Parts: sequence; structure tokens; C-alpha cells
Amino acid sequence: MSTAVLEPHTILDEPDDMFPLDLDVRIPKIRELFHLATQKQWDPRIDIDWEAFDPAPYTEEQRYAARQYWSRRAWSEYGAISESPALQIRFCHDKCEPDLRLFFTIRSQEESRHAEACFRMAEILGGYIEQPVQNAYQGSVATHGVRKMALDPEISVEAILAALVCGAEEIAFDVFRHLVDITRDPVARQVCASIMRDEVRHCAFGWRYLNHRIPHMNAEQIRVVENAVITMIEKVELNGYHSAWLAPDNPASEAEMAVDRLTWEAGLGSTVEELEKPIFVKTVQRVREQMRDWGVNLPTFSHPKIGEF
Amino acid sequence: MALAHSTRIPVEHRFPLHLQRSITSIRDLYEAGKQQRWNPDTDIAWSRFDPAAYDAAALQAARLTWSRRAWVEYAGLAETPAILIRFCLEAGRESDPKYFLTVRNTEEAWQIESCHRYAGVLGGYVDQPSSAREKALFNQYRHRHALDAEESADAFFVVHSAVEDGLELELCRAHLDNARDPVARQILEKSTRAKERHAAFGWLYATERAARWSAPERAQVSAQVLAYLRDIELAGYHCAWLGDPASAEARAAQATSEAGLGAASQERERDLLCDYVAAVRARLGELGVDLPELSHPALGRL
Repeated sequence: MSTAVLEPHTILDEPDDMFPLDLDVRIPKIRELFHLATQKQWDPRIDIDWEAFDPAPYTEEQRYAARQYWSRRAWSEYGAISESPALQIRFCHDKCEPDLRLFFTIRSQEESRHAEACFRMAEILGGYIEQPVQNAYQGSVATHGVRKMALDPEISVEAILAALVCGAEEIAFDVFRHLVDITRDPVARQVCASIMRDEVRHCAFGWRYLNHRIPHMNAEQIRVVENAVITMIEKVELNGYHSAWLAPDNPASEAEMAVDRLTWEAGLGSTVEELEKPIFVKTVQRVREQMRDWGVNLPTFSHPKIGEF
Repeated sequence: MALAHSTRIPVEHRFPLHLQRSITSIRDLYEAGKQQRWNPDTDIAWSRFDPAAYDAAALQAARLTWSRRAWVEYAGLAETPAILIRFCLEAGRESDPKYFLTVRNTEEAWQIESCHRYAGVLGGYVDQPSSAREKALFNQYRHRHALDAEESADAFFVVHSAVEDGLELELCRAHLDNARDPVARQILEKSTRAKERHAAFGWLYATERAARWSAPERAQVSAQVLAYLRDIELAGYHCAWLGDPASAEARAAQATSEAGLGAASQERERDLLCDYVAAVRARLGELGVDLPELSHPALGRL
């Protein structure tokens, strides 16, 4: 059991009262997502044709690389199990619209399914790996900081969701769509496609919520949203949370990039810098455009491997 | 305004990250949960409800009973993510309970939506209790306890996921046995199936953990179960009549029971509670945990 503890002031230290308990539909478009997600549930154990996987076409080196890649995906999906449920606690504490509270339960379950599917993919490739080969990479993949943000009363729900969902998840979604297009292995492609279908709803959730909230927010509150999105892109995404090639140059990130390349060459599910870079840039540009309608102005970003964009 | 007590949250050490199946029985429950999914919108025949079959007093009572049930179910909406996070924060916890909790939370959401919707068709959902006493009973701040490093996650888990979920299952079965309305029956059937898994999960994981408890940890579990039963359950959390037989909620539950709209009589609940506390005592005894005697004016010594 962990013994170290964190003692920042959190929403847990604030009084709250669950009554009056509103459960009515307040944001129909989000309640609709909850119902849609209920209808569209899938089961990684049954709905992926694991028997169709044929290891024969792949070299040992490719399979080992893909094991590492899918293990890393599992760690990333697990982050949403370990961290994002804090948002649900926040929604309850802040008495956010009931639609958010209900939708987020199924979102967390979907993250479980994703972690399970990635784990199974790593297993059929030779075995799931429990931690990064190089410790230095842990800093990039361990956390996007959402748990801390969710429990921090100083950061608004709107800022968190704009940063996490409309920023980070939007980027992840576009890359996933690209993976579905380029992954040749039928099982790996099925996993990517299944996850992507859930991610469509995850992203829609964020945009629908912010579209609902922005008209009720003042300029200062919108500025907080803007800062949160900028921080998420600069400190998390451009630090390699989703993509190893964006992580700071060091032996650990170079090793991860080599893993990505081998996995991509084999068609087993990854992508590489030269293919992902234009997608990443385009997504950030689109997000910038869409957020402009809210009065959120994202600056020009800069990264050594991309330049200014 | 901040509370006097500051909740200290454990720090996560994520790696090595175990995602393997390690508690087969719980992984099987997770798999069953995924397969036995249902949809409150389409799997309940809402159109079969006929308000003309009931008098106004019965409908009024049932809307309060089902609203109150939504409040009870709502506790899971913050409690389940909190205990899930706590398990993720504690190094070495297995993946199976974490996965299961994500499914459980979805099922809690479906139950909340079903109870709320049924209260709506009965005449309208009621969004708060009738008295300050009832309100206080519901405001338990469970998520704080679950995340507080100074509190035992295992004791919290035994209280709410084994003892409480087991009681909810028994009550749900009793409500179903006594329900004649087809919509109430459908909701209770779906809830019973989910609660069977929830209670099984609670006791399975409690048993798994008990093997490593020290004597002080067993004493902590005992103290927390005792406090929960004495201060929450016997104060009327699930069965309002235990707290105040004259309260609007208690009278509503009795009238709902008589109308066949999805509740059980006080007599039935009294027998059920006595049997259940005895069963819990025996079960905890198998885990090396002694549950002291309880008493209640309406139940006698338990």
C-alpha cells in the first residue's frame, strides 16, 4: 500500500449537500450520448476475433515491438480508469448537470474495455509488459494530471473538459482514425476501430458540454478555459503523452520511437512521426478554429520537431 | 468554507501495472456484467404502466418511494469512482476489481435513471427528503472516506460493497416478490440481477483481502461495519421506518407495498433485516471479524 500522501486543498475538503438532487435531462445532447453508449456496448473478449490473429507473417522483432506498443496503449487507457473517475466526483460535488454524471459512468467502463482490448492484443503478440523498458519514459506516459485537476476547486469543470476532451482526446481521436486506415493486421485494426467508435462519443461529450456552457460564462472564466487548453497542449501533448516522437530527446523516447516504427512497418497498429505530424498539426489547427467560436484563442505552438504551428 | 478535516490522498505508483487476470471469480463477474448489460430506455416496457389502475394516494406514495430509491442508488455515483481511484492509488491491487467497478458504476447509473423515470411516470420525481433528519442520513460523504489515506480502503469496501450491497440485494428481492405492477417488476428484475453480481463481488473480494488482514485491521473492519449498521441502516437509510415510522417516506413505502408498486411491508423488511444481520455476522466470522451485538427498538437485539 502507498504511504506517501498528497495534501493540497481539494474539493474533498469542502462541504457539500447532495440535495436537492436533480436527475432530470438538462443537456439532451449529452443524455443522448449516454443512451447511445448504452446501446453500442461491446465486449473485447467476444467482439474481437482474436482467433483470426496469425503470428506467422511477423518477425520476432516485429512482434516484440508490437507487444511493447500495445502494452503502452494499455497503460495509457488505464490512465483513464485511474484518473478520469475523479471527474465524476467533481460533477457530483459541483452539482453539474445530471447528464454528465450519468454519461461518465459508461465512459469509464469504456476505458476499461479499451485497456482490456490493448492488454489482450499485447498478450497474443507474446505477452503484456508491465512497465516501460526505460524508466525515463514513465514521466511521459504516467499521467495527464486530470485527477489532480478534477479535485482542484480552483480549476473549473469547463476548463478541465476543454483541455482533456476537446484538446487531448480530440488529438488522440484523429490519430486513432488514422491508425484504422493504416493498420493492416485484421485483429489490430478491429481493436483500433472498436476503440475509435467509443472515442467519437468521448469527444462529442466535451464539445457538447462546452457548447452548452460557454454562452453562460464571462470573459474571465473563458480565459481560464483557454489557459487550461494551452497547458494541456504544451505540457502534456507536446511532451509526448500520446506520441513518443514528441517526447524530449533521450534514449527512452528514442527506444519508444523505434518500437513505433517497427510496429507500423509490420502493420500491427502504430504510426510514425512523418505520418502523424501532419495529422497532429491539422487537429490542433481545427481545435483552434472551433474554440475561436467560444472566444478561446489558442496561440501559435512550437515544438523542435514540428516548428511553429 | 473548508472542512476542519483535510483529506490526504495517497500518491500513485502506477508501474509495474498488473492487468492480468488474477482473481478468476471476480474477472468472471466482470465478464458476466458486460454480457448482461441492459438498457433502461428500451428494455423496460414503460408504455405498459397504467396509472388508471391505482388510486391517487398509491401513486403519490410510490413516486416518493421510487424517488428515495433513486437517492439511495445515487450514492454509488460518487462512491464507486472514489473506491476505484483508491484501488488504483494503492500499489499491488489487482485489475479485476478495478474493471468490475467500472461496470458496476454503469449499472448504478442505469438504476438511477430507471428509478427516476419510474417516479416520473408515477406522478413526478421528488428531489429531496421531507426532513432535515433524512437529508443528514443521505449526506454521508462516502467519496471522502474512500479517498482518505488515513482510512482503511478494505474496511470501507467491506462496509459498502459487501455488507451494504448484500442488504440491497435482499431488499431488492423482497421488493420484487411483492411487486405486481409490470414496470416495477421489470426494473426490480434488472436491478436484482445486477445486485447479485455486486454483492458477490463484495464478498469475494473481502474474502480475498481478509487473508492478509492483521488483528488491528480486522478490528477496524468490525468497528466500521458496526458503525454503518447502527448509525446508517438502523437509522433508516434503506428502510425509512426504522428511523421514523411516522415519516412521509416510511408511510409511502408501506402504501407502495400494499399497492404492489415495488416495495415490501415493514414486517417483511423486519424479518429480512434480522436474518441479514445474523448472516453478516456469520460471514464476517469466517473472515476473522467479530461483529458486536446491535439493538433497535423495533428489531430487538441483533
